[in-house]
Amino acid sequence: MRKSFAAVSITAALALASLPAQASWQDTLEEAKGQTVYFNAWGGADNINDYIQWAADRIKDEYDVTLKQVKLTDTSDAVNRVLAEKAAGKNNNGSIDLIWLNGENFRAMKDNQLLSKPFSQSLPNYIKYIDESARQSLTLDFGTPVEGMESPWGMAQVIFMHDTETLQNPPKSMQALLTYAQANPGRITYPEPPQFLSSTFLKQALYELTAHRKALSQPVDSVDFDTITTPLWGYLDQLHQVAWRNGQNFPSSSEEMMRLLDDQEIDVALSFDISAASVQIDKGNLPDTVRSYVFDQGTIGNTHFLAIPYNSGANAGAQVVANFMLSPEAQVRKQEPTVWGDLSVLSYDKLSENEQAQFDDLPRGIATLSIEELGKTLPEPHSSWVDALETEWRQRYAQ
Amino acid sequence: MPLKHTQWITALIAVLLTLPVIIGLIGTLLPAFQFFPPLGEYQFSTAPWRNVFAQGEFYSSLKLTLITGIGGPLLSLWLALSLLAWGYERPFFRKIETLLSPILAVPHAAIAIGLLFLLSPSGWLVRIFSPWLTGFDRPPNWITVQDPFGLSLIFALIIKEMPYLLFVMLAAMKSIKARENIQACQALGYSRFTLWRKVLIPQLYPIIRLPIFIVVAFSLTVVDLALVIGPNTPSTLAVTLYRWFNDPDLSMRFMASAGATFLMVTIVLVLGGWEIAHRAFSAFTRCERSDGKRKGITDILLGAGVVFGLVTLLNAFAALALLPIWSLAKRWRFPDALPSTWTWDNIERATPLLIELTSNTLLIAFSATLIACAASLFMLETKRQSMAKSNKASQQHAFDWLIYVPILLPQIGFLFGLHVLLIYLNLNGSICAIIALHLMYVLPYVYLTLKGPYLAYNENYLLQANRLNNRPWRHYFIIKIAMLKPALFTAFAMGFSVSIAQYLPTLIAGEGRHSTLTTEAIAQAASGDRKQVGSMALLQALFPVIVFWLAQIIPTRWTKWRLAMKNFFQKG
Repeated sequence: MRKSFAAVSITAALALASLPAQASWQDTLEEAKGQTVYFNAWGGADNINDYIQWAADRIKDEYDVTLKQVKLTDTSDAVNRVLAEKAAGKNNNGSIDLIWLNGENFRAMKDNQLLSKPFSQSLPNYIKYIDESARQSLTLDFGTPVEGMESPWGMAQVIFMHDTETLQNPPKSMQALLTYAQANPGRITYPEPPQFLSSTFLKQALYELTAHRKALSQPVDSVDFDTITTPLWGYLDQLHQVAWRNGQNFPSSSEEMMRLLDDQEIDVALSFDISAASVQIDKGNLPDTVRSYVFDQGTIGNTHFLAIPYNSGANAGAQVVANFMLSPEAQVRKQEPTVWGDLSVLSYDKLSENEQAQFDDLPRGIATLSIEELGKTLPEPHSSWVDALETEWRQRYAQ
Repeated sequence: MPLKHTQWITALIAVLLTLPVIIGLIGTLLPAFQFFPPLGEYQFSTAPWRNVFAQGEFYSSLKLTLITGIGGPLLSLWLALSLLAWGYERPFFRKIETLLSPILAVPHAAIAIGLLFLLSPSGWLVRIFSPWLTGFDRPPNWITVQDPFGLSLIFALIIKEMPYLLFVMLAAMKSIKARENIQACQALGYSRFTLWRKVLIPQLYPIIRLPIFIVVAFSLTVVDLALVIGPNTPSTLAVTLYRWFNDPDLSMRFMASAGATFLMVTIVLVLGGWEIAHRAFSAFTRCERSDGKRKGITDILLGAGVVFGLVTLLNAFAALALLPIWSLAKRWRFPDALPSTWTWDNIERATPLLIELTSNTLLIAFSATLIACAASLFMLETKRQSMAKSNKASQQHAFDWLIYVPILLPQIGFLFGLHVLLIYLNLNGSICAIIALHLMYVLPYVYLTLKGPYLAYNENYLLQANRLNNRPWRHYFIIKIAMLKPALFTAFAMGFSVSIAQYLPTLIAGEGRHSTLTTEAIAQAASGDRKQVGSMALLQALFPVIVFWLAQIIPTRWTKWRLAMKNFFQKG
């Protein structure tokens, strides 16, 4: 009797607690009607732009919110714009309502009070489908606490690509990569810092080479940077001697690496997009003999997010968009390899059977790895490492 | 133009021109001294400068910037002068002249991507000789592009700037009475190159001094070109600054602002040095020029310039011709000289954009260029009147320097300061703001192209007409403007193509809400996908090429068409 009473009171308390939440979400939906949301997102990939356009059409139909993508070449352009607006005292109706970011850009915006008040944890789909304990990167974005100031959108993991015509057994560790480069001079390279994929490569190498892995989750000021990173620089010194263009040039992006792989200038490319190889084969930018793979010890993965600037004039509309992006419908479509192939952030266990089936039925591209094949995800080091590694790299190799 | 109160008009236009420049400068200078309230910095400090000077990369970048930023314009000038001396008024050279406009019209990034494909180890030049001659089944591990000395960047700069200088020189030839000079010198037995070197080039140089300065400033500050084809360990100073400005760590902005200020100072110093070098050079060669010899060994220099100039042009055309092929390619792998599978998909994917973006692009370009043309006419008229009053032909007018300041300043840094102004005025994000910012960059080119012909115009036609029937405004339009049609059309085409190519001003003033062909093309170029870039570059080049072409054919046929129309309506 007491037990059931307790149960009833808990249920009642929960119901009472969620009532205002629901009511306020209804208010948000009402307020959002007719708003236009300017969504600042990197626009370098056709397939992603198309996906955003699909979402825009769906959101217009369902919520009467107009979503307009502002295509960026670099997310920091948008951060700069919010900063310029703050400089000019434009604290209302800013030009950006929603921004696609993570890591350093998030930290920069959060530290400089350029973000709106926390919103993500009260989104209905977040409450319903997100399991924060499933993945550290959902609450710690490169070591910076998310605290509800950005809403998860997708998950990425580093993958490597090779052409099976020229390279049968690709090197699956940093050490093997060096050995391969020494046997085949000029065929291995990695993107140039401060490109984000590049710092990821450096972090990946650091993980495998250093004896102090645990220190990587600490802010860089609180550890002995030199001792921890010495093996990394020794490794790179050796690699650059036998690297593509003798380590004097580095590709500027994952896209350029794939182009070089297609041109047969290099033998291994990397990407943060697990379906990159399949998408590019489909477009005719890579031969159909290209396959993806990951390193034996696992590769670095992270979560990317949507955030609302503090001066957005369409805060409600932006929340509606962020909530839609977390719906199973949007996440299933996003994970479809020919659409985008970006991994879902939803907890599989929290989905209904029907929704689980939709995820199970997703086809895979010919060069896309399954979740099992992707193996272990290494967490991102604290975000302060990015800057430290980049600065040190440029001091050593770019002068 | 029967203008009154020319001083007032001069003052007004000068203020309108100076204001944004000053604000942009303040917006760069304050952060360079650590003063930036949005980041909570209210104290002046020299820390940003100490930081800049402590960066090893700063010095190596600066060295590269100086090499490429001085080497590029110097070589461009040499090649352009050589080609002009060699081909001026020769029939086949006319054909080359008409081919210049596509190079002027195509955006820098597109040319750079084309060149990269032409020259890289897996590029087209190696492909046509592989594997039958070179034996390469795979591209060699050479450094033919992005070399650490910046040679490929200098080459790209020459490809883009030599045609511009040639274009300006051809426009200036009329005002130095070139034909008469050539005939006189040839009658005296001077060889072609010698007479150019001794007689024509010294006269030509002062007229094209400003365009040369623009080219120098551009070479020192260019970002998009250097990003694609420049070295990256280290990069040029402008690219390094661009990276610092874009660093997610916002405190890097202080160091970047200090660097941007330093870059501005560098530009001033380099231009000063350039001018001193020119004066020293002309003083040094004065005796030689007037020694009466009809031939000289330095002729070889111009002869060599012709050869290199032609090779450069050939490369430019090859790079331009390859881009459209990419837009039709599905599979095009090393060592195939042509795509192995073809497709319309790339074009199909790009066409919806054409319809969507064309209206924005054309609206901005037409408005900015028309306003620039009108403003240039006003400014030139006030300049002409003040020149007439003071009776000094070579008097420098305030405008001559003022309007160049925006293009002489590095866009990065300066535009950020200006953006803050736009937000204060609540003009940000509107089409008007984009047009205004474009105007800043279009006006100098229009003014420059129009200046020579306008000031060289023989006012007596107008005076005579007004004596017969005093209707100054009407006569200004139907006589002076009508006679200046070719120059006006050319100036319009020039301004139009400058407006089309603007990326940062469009992005910053429009806040990304108004896309143009260029913003879209560069956003897509971020992916480095040659197929997309090929199709987008094609679209981007389309309108400027058409406008340049129209600028060449309309003036010569205008009267014929006008009379035909008149006849038609009179008969009808």
